[in-house]
Amino acid sequence: MAIGPEEEKPPLFPTWGYWYVLVIAWLALLIILFYLFTKTYS
Amino acid sequence: MSSLDWVVLIATLAIIILYGVWKSRGQQNMESYFLGNQSMPWYIVLLSIIGTQASAITFISAPGQAYTDGMRFVQYYFGLPLAMVVLCITFVPIFHKLKVYTAYEFLEKRFDLKTRTLTSSLFLIQRGLSTGISICAPSIILSSLLGWNLYWTNMIMGGLLIIYTVAGGTRAVAYTQTLQLAIIFGGMFLAGWMVVHLLPADIGFKQALQVSGKMEKLNVIVTKFDWNDKYNIWSGVIGGFFLALSYFGTDQSQVGRYLTARSVKESRMGLLMNGLVKVPMQFLILLIGAMVFVFYLYFRAPIFFNEAQLARVRGTAQGPALEQLESRYNQLATRKQQQVKELATALEQEDAAAAATAKKALQQTDDQAQAVRSAALSLMKEADPAADTNDTNYIFLHFVVNNLPKGLVGLLIAIIFLAAWGSIAAALNSLASTTVIDIYQRLYNGHASPEHYLKVSKLWTLIWGVFCIVVAQFASGLGSLIEVVNVLGSWFYGVTLGIFMVAFYLKRVGGTATFWAAIAAEAVVLAMYGAEKVSFLWLNAIGCVLVVIFALMIQPFVKQKTIAG
Repeated sequence: MAIGPEEEKPPLFPTWGYWYVLVIAWLALLIILFYLFTKTYS
Repeated sequence: MSSLDWVVLIATLAIIILYGVWKSRGQQNMESYFLGNQSMPWYIVLLSIIGTQASAITFISAPGQAYTDGMRFVQYYFGLPLAMVVLCITFVPIFHKLKVYTAYEFLEKRFDLKTRTLTSSLFLIQRGLSTGISICAPSIILSSLLGWNLYWTNMIMGGLLIIYTVAGGTRAVAYTQTLQLAIIFGGMFLAGWMVVHLLPADIGFKQALQVSGKMEKLNVIVTKFDWNDKYNIWSGVIGGFFLALSYFGTDQSQVGRYLTARSVKESRMGLLMNGLVKVPMQFLILLIGAMVFVFYLYFRAPIFFNEAQLARVRGTAQGPALEQLESRYNQLATRKQQQVKELATALEQEDAAAAATAKKALQQTDDQAQAVRSAALSLMKEADPAADTNDTNYIFLHFVVNNLPKGLVGLLIAIIFLAAWGSIAAALNSLASTTVIDIYQRLYNGHASPEHYLKVSKLWTLIWGVFCIVVAQFASGLGSLIEVVNVLGSWFYGVTLGIFMVAFYLKRVGGTATFWAAIAAEAVVLAMYGAEKVSFLWLNAIGCVLVVIFALMIQPFVKQKTIAG
């Protein structure tokens, strides 16, 4: 059976779930870094 | 501006127009005109999404925002990556599977014609008016700073891009946005580098950061919750999430960008990459503003950055009093110059006690300077009650025009035009696609030839371009235009998102319940705005939640009526 467009494999990772986790983890990391940045220079 | 600046400005704008016209070839039908034959790779989709969202005001206003209020504005974008994930899971596969031209087509497939027509009409009202205002906002600033005629600036700001947008549709929009962003990022990087370079020789980037931080301009994260505070981490993540989800999921100016992707995979990659790069990008733009703040501690800032406004007050009865305040402000600026040097030296020597003393002294002088400035703003209002006393949008361009070398000034002014063109071109394309697909083809003429629809699509792109310029010519008296655009969005975005949320997640709710729920929620949102009880950012979340609740409440009655009938 042909793979439907929504089941297309993402680049680099086996499933799209990994990409979603990466984006959310990146946001969390940025917030932590910004928090440290704010504390360091305030 | 110097001759060299004019050459750089005209050459940059001409390159974009010629490039857009060159990319306009080969339009044969509506699919190529509105969807670019769904052939775009993810990186073009990404740049097109960024170019559509980042208007001229983004590059003018954000550094000014950091100058006046610090960098906490970046929190406004924290909900965006989360919204990208939800879009990739829910919206993108459905839009691609149904092969829609506009987001609103989906609503007829899921609900009925009236819900589709209501939602597309809300979009046309909101996007048509806000695009006109988006043309006017940077035009007012440029015409005031450079002495240009406002009407002609509006014509160039909103008019020249019509050439390639009408001719080339979404493909020309996407490719010109790519080139525009390359020029914009290059120019902004140069501007940021120049701010630090123009600081005194003994002040490097690290010292500038330390001084800026001590003056509370690097307040990126604010954890205290306040309903009326626009920029803290809670309103950023929650309010920003709803705003981003409404904007990217239901506003055709954005949906039209990722529908051009060649597959679901390319759409998703474009959106997810936007989730990765948007927050750092805004951080860097705001950092330029924080550095401009440090620059104006070492070099005297004017009491008010809109100098044309100042000049008007000087010619009135309040002129002598204003001159006295300016003189006092300049004395305080000289004192600040000395105090900031003491603070930088103390920080360099890591002498915490001396740094605290110097900071306190500098802060006190700055408070005095702000008090003098407030008195000057009151005088301005006295001289002209209609005067706009908010100069946030003038700060960055004032720095550019008065301090950057010849050539770079022209490039930075060109960047303002390019940023405006990128978002306006996408808006015109989406206004035309919604008018032709959701209104003209669906309600009036559904069986014409592809050539006819292509001709009508180009005509409507032109009509909306003219409409937006006309709105721009009348918008200058509306006060703070960036706020007007945001308020307009908050009136409609939440309700529109609520309709889509019901469509995606509440399968048992039908079109009639959703339609009346949307009408009722819109009325409540407008009443809440009128009552001024909450910051307008929250109206997006409130509108969305109300549609969902009202739809669930109305649905049982609709069913009973149907059964009784």
